[in-house]
Amino acid sequence: MNISESILQAFDSIRTNKLRTFLTLLSISMGVFALIAAGTIITSFEKAVLQQLEDIGETTFWIKKTPSIQTGHTWVKYRKRQPLTYRQWKELKKMTKSTNLISAHSFTVGTKISAGNLSTDPDVYLTGADNTFFITNSIDIDYGRAITEEDLEYNRNVAILGNDVVVKIFPNTNPIGKEIIVKNQRYTVVGVMKSRGAVLGQSKDNMVIIPITSFLKYFASPWEESLTISIRALDRQLLEETMDEVIGNLRVIRNLKPWEANTFEIETNETISQQFGSFVNFLSIFGFISGGFALIAAGVGIMNIMLVAVKERTREIGIRKAVGAKRRWILWQFILEAITLCQVGGVFGILFGIVGGYLLGTWIKLPMYFPTSWIILSVVVCTILGMSFGAYPAYRAANLDPIESLRYE
Amino acid sequence: MNVNNLNRNPLIELKNISKVYLVGEEQVFALRDINLTIYPNEYVAIMGPSGSGKSTLMNIIGCLDTPTTGEYILKGINIRELDDNDLASIRNKEIGFVFQMFNLLPRANALKNVELPLIYAGINKSERIERAKKALISVGLEDRLTHKPNELSGGQRQKVAIARALVTNPSLILADEPTGNLDSKSGEDIMRLFHQIWKEGNTIILVTHEREIAMNAQRIIRLRDGRIESDELNPQKVVFESVEE
Repeated sequence: MNISESILQAFDSIRTNKLRTFLTLLSISMGVFALIAAGTIITSFEKAVLQQLEDIGETTFWIKKTPSIQTGHTWVKYRKRQPLTYRQWKELKKMTKSTNLISAHSFTVGTKISAGNLSTDPDVYLTGADNTFFITNSIDIDYGRAITEEDLEYNRNVAILGNDVVVKIFPNTNPIGKEIIVKNQRYTVVGVMKSRGAVLGQSKDNMVIIPITSFLKYFASPWEESLTISIRALDRQLLEETMDEVIGNLRVIRNLKPWEANTFEIETNETISQQFGSFVNFLSIFGFISGGFALIAAGVGIMNIMLVAVKERTREIGIRKAVGAKRRWILWQFILEAITLCQVGGVFGILFGIVGGYLLGTWIKLPMYFPTSWIILSVVVCTILGMSFGAYPAYRAANLDPIESLRYE
Repeated sequence: MNVNNLNRNPLIELKNISKVYLVGEEQVFALRDINLTIYPNEYVAIMGPSGSGKSTLMNIIGCLDTPTTGEYILKGINIRELDDNDLASIRNKEIGFVFQMFNLLPRANALKNVELPLIYAGINKSERIERAKKALISVGLEDRLTHKPNELSGGQRQKVAIARALVTNPSLILADEPTGNLDSKSGEDIMRLFHQIWKEGNTIILVTHEREIAMNAQRIIRLRDGRIESDELNPQKVVFESVEE
């Protein structure tokens, strides 16, 4: 069959029925746009999470009261869990032999930091942490120092600043040794973190770290009192052994009977990726449902256009049959035409999708990603769409009676 | 009939052909018991008033339609036994249609229109173009290859249609009122072209209700009420021939 002829014919149909075709192609574009944009965002998210996990390294794992990413109504299950307290962490640290890198931290969002007459927006992450937190979570100090054991021991009011905070309240000055005010508490700046960029739309530099003790005393709301404990195994080989020991110790500390399940979550790179996977599935359902509805509507439009095309070109079909076109040739001609129409709509959808995904990605500060696999999927979807909704009109065309078609005015 | 044909194989044999349409409860005979034999390189006119069944007969001969009863044998092939796809192949290989309404693809230029049957014959592009050009040159349209139908006169359109009919070297040219939509000057032109095509060895069946046009043929068959009323050689054409030669 002459493929190029059918494709040209499709473009001809677009030219002759501009408005009708435009509206139909628009809904294809919307559907494909939804697919591509959702796909782009999801993949970007995925990459950002994986990058973050990679930065921290695979020997670190975390213990929390509840999982990091929750979908649906699972919170009911975790509601009655007791918090992970400072005392439990201290005890865990004392009991555990396989590693000494067991850190605790908690944070609160939306804090305002001031120095002199300058202040930040009330959007800073205020994190309380111990001295090993910097190692377990791979946070490097650019200049100055990190929190030390002595800071915790003597309840010193010291703070480590992120770059965004420095830019806002210490422009063109060295902040080391200066004082900052956090909700009426004074802290002395002792260090500045190395810039860590942004992940999931959040700058990781818009952050102030203070000793965990001070944090719990002045800033933690009740639900923020439950700590996240980060544990780094000394070696990749020791990871499992360390996990087993930590879990065992924590069960003893939390008085769990042997038949009771853990009342805390253990998260590793792997479990976070898995949790994230289900979160992504949850998100992609929205993309698929909205895209799917638009595409079904578009399919009906395509069928309409093709039925009209068959009617308008009845005589042409008769001519083709008279000079020897077999049924299947007519069938394929119209199916190819429908597929071409869908692909034209799809191309616009892909373009809008890439641009839309890019704009949204820039807005929420995600690393840009080119959605190759989603583009391929869209092309496949458009082909299937054209084939399925073009099939019936094409079947009608193929079965027209040549004599009557030739007489058709 | 033509004595010369007796020792040749017929091109077309129609045996007791009838075509019945159901109009409501009533059976309407479009054709009744037609027996007809046509030999290669005959030039036959089928004449008759409207409703005489000449269109139905043409459709059956052209393999666009099948008879209700009777046998149709084209080049030794029994058409009744063929399915839709085989009929399409027969039309493609053996029959060249020329219609009153020209029936060209409006969006395609002359060359593309003439190429069309060759596309369905599965012939490659370079050969298609070659043969389509040749056919258009043979009807005198060498300077109109890239013109679309609406850029051509009626006579030129019909010549494109004739080129399309000729391009596959069919066994039979079937022309249905080919001058019906033309002025008399163009009509004469087209009839001269048919004469030339016939002289080149082609078989032509011409369906018309105009006596003048039918007089161009060598044999004239008259239909009335679905039956053959008369079937005779055209004395004028014979005279015309002898004068010319």
